[in-house]
Amino acid sequence: MLSTEDVKRLIESGIPDATARVEDLTGTSDHFAVTVASPAFQGKTRIEQHKMVHRALGDHLTTTIHAVQIKTVVPD
Amino acid sequence: MWTKDDIQKAVSDNKILIFGKGTKDQPMCGFTHRAIAVATQLGKPFEVINIFDDESIRPALVSFSDWPTTPQFFVGGEFIGGSDTALEMFESGELQQKVDQVFAS
Repeated sequence: MLSTEDVKRLIESGIPDATARVEDLTGTSDHFAVTVASPAFQGKTRIEQHKMVHRALGDHLTTTIHAVQIKTVVPD
Repeated sequence: MWTKDDIQKAVSDNKILIFGKGTKDQPMCGFTHRAIAVATQLGKPFEVINIFDDESIRPALVSFSDWPTTPQFFVGGEFIGGSDTALEMFESGELQQKVDQVFAS
């Protein structure tokens, strides 16, 4: 079981200079909404940006996490 | 038994295609429901393939698109991601534009 803090840590350590905001949508620690900002998203397609978040979450994405809603942002 | 070739064929045969959990009338997951809601608003025919129809669909799909989750949305043979990316593209008008192009050609 992952807490919102765990998810935040996984994302921020997996993507360079990332800042993540994580919400537990259901209170059951398996449906999350994440908003991730990173300069590393610059010049990448939305699909590639989401894939970076998938990679940061690794196996959790298909095991402990049932669903994650992702929004990626390139900081100004 | 579904292979990557079968996924490719389904993607090529349908101008708008969603692989999801459940059917058009009975989506079995909130995200699939949302993807279908987006597709409905595009005003063009679309297909939904239920990954629960056959247990080989999911692994073939995941390796085809290099995307670990469902739903997965395809327009004109192009992978446009899951329900988050589809919704974002819909809200920006980008998705409707792409769909109109695909149906005009």
